[in-house]
Amino acid sequence: MRRTLDRLYEAAIWLAAATFALIAVLVLLQILGRLADRAARFLDFPPLGLTIPSLAEIGAFLFTGAVFLGLAGTLQAGSHVRVKLLIQALPDTAAPWLGAAVCAAAAALAGFATWSSALQALDSLQFGSVSYGVIPIPLVIPQGVMTAGLGLFCLSLTDAMVTLVRGGAPAHQLAETRTEAGK
Amino acid sequence: MEIATLAPLLLVVLFGSLALGLWVGFALIAVGLVAMLVAAPAPASLVFATKVWGGLSVWDLTALPMFIWMGEILVRSRLSSDMFSGLAPFTARLPGRLLHVNVLGCALFAAVSGSSAATTATIGRMSLPELRARGYDDRMAIGTLAGSGTFGFLIPPSIILIVYGAATEQSIARLFLAGVLPGLMLAALFAGYIMIWATLNKDKMPPAEPPVGRREAFRAAARLLPVVGLILAVIGSIYLGIASPTEAAVIGVAGAVILASATGALAWADFLESLRAATVTTCMIAFILAGAAFLTVAMGYTGIPRELARAIGAMELTPYALLAMLTVFFIVMGMFLDGISIVVLTVSIILPMVTAAGIDPIWFGVFLVLVVEMSQITPPVGFNLFVIQTITGRDIFAVARYAAPFFGLLVLAVGLLSLFPGIALWLPGTMLSR
Repeated sequence: MRRTLDRLYEAAIWLAAATFALIAVLVLLQILGRLADRAARFLDFPPLGLTIPSLAEIGAFLFTGAVFLGLAGTLQAGSHVRVKLLIQALPDTAAPWLGAAVCAAAAALAGFATWSSALQALDSLQFGSVSYGVIPIPLVIPQGVMTAGLGLFCLSLTDAMVTLVRGGAPAHQLAETRTEAGK
Repeated sequence: MEIATLAPLLLVVLFGSLALGLWVGFALIAVGLVAMLVAAPAPASLVFATKVWGGLSVWDLTALPMFIWMGEILVRSRLSSDMFSGLAPFTARLPGRLLHVNVLGCALFAAVSGSSAATTATIGRMSLPELRARGYDDRMAIGTLAGSGTFGFLIPPSIILIVYGAATEQSIARLFLAGVLPGLMLAALFAGYIMIWATLNKDKMPPAEPPVGRREAFRAAARLLPVVGLILAVIGSIYLGIASPTEAAVIGVAGAVILASATGALAWADFLESLRAATVTTCMIAFILAGAAFLTVAMGYTGIPRELARAIGAMELTPYALLAMLTVFFIVMGMFLDGISIVVLTVSIILPMVTAAGIDPIWFGVFLVLVVEMSQITPPVGFNLFVIQTITGRDIFAVARYAAPFFGLLVLAVGLLSLFPGIALWLPGTMLSR
């Protein structure tokens, strides 16, 4: 179970990373296409017209999808920002309970976010909403990815809470301690 | 519910959840949710997804992962060690000598990285051991690094300015250009302070380094030329209007990959690690932005920002008095919150009041960055302090004491920027727009 969950978070964040790399490649192709056009015009050839249609829209969707897919992995890496003054000041007997309560609250809020996002994705599906650009993209695809990412985030927070209640140390806490100690 | 009771309730929810250790993004969502449940006619469930979706699926934000990635690649290259050998010979004749490497190195690195923590860590790991080995005053070495490390946010590319621009719908290209001159001014202020300090404290300076041959010095400096070229290409293409910030950032990523692999310093594993690190940082920032997008709308329903703007308007403060008040407020906030959280909270609550006072939003972005830079070096929560504590093992309060003069210089810079707004607004005004 532990291994399956960790692999799931890891797979999602690598998918997010690959998506960011894909945006970079698309933008690079767009720039090269524009340069090729300029070169063609300079040499009196007809422009090749190598552009990626609706790149701005597709890029924005890819960005949003990637961000939500990466949320759980970012938690595991201890990289979401928070103020730890109080948790650090508490004695070792009380700190895990506050940690678990905070995880529970965060999981509840993430649950709300997932539900809200799912409603939006369902709406887009029912009304068949598509984007405005040259290539109409069904909005349910990126919004569905957003919902899935938020769901996974909620799962990872619940996972961390259960680990704390059982007396273990969740991944985000270990990672935070590692960062503070200088890796 | 009356605003007079709602506003304190929301403040308690915000600071209470932050103090308990709830992640910043969730704290923003929690405050937004309470505000919506109490004050809004619309159901929170639909508003949340719509606003978060609308706030994040913005093309301009794709510049964020790209600029972060570019910095992450260069951190893993030989840039930082080249930086010390390339800059050191040229500071040998200035009063304060190698202490200037901290300022120059941070300014140069800030121009390829948008993050203060990354700038501090990269320059600090290289310069602090060198300075200590040569007998420089530890307090001054650490103080200059803590102060100069904050350049990362001001000198473009700047993560904070991308976040501010996306949240306020200002042009990121213009914001970037507005940061250039104030960044250089700050570097000049820091360098000037080092010279004065070194002249007054001759007894604390170590004996002079053996002189480096001119040819050797230029050879070492020449190794920095490709990076300088990359900086000029990225900033220049934005200035000339040839490339959007995202395109410039992707050029930067491509250039960084070429530079780092040409020096044989970038293995495939490093490349993947840089991509993963950029992903983690982007997701962290974007989650705070998501919380802020929801909070901004929720606050709009409560009417608190409007009321605040009206109350401040009724006080008939001069713009200087308003800015002085805001500076103090931000310094206090900055002791407990990180820069991005300060920016997003400001945009949700304070911006209507600022625009009502007739302050230019581009100028205010640069002002905000300067104040956020201060928050990096004020305890108990200051990211540059954490980074330097990690490198040196000194506790954050000691580091903050060493950095105090540079905090003062940041306050001075805010004063200069307020008296002469042209420092920020002149360069974007000359920009060749498309």
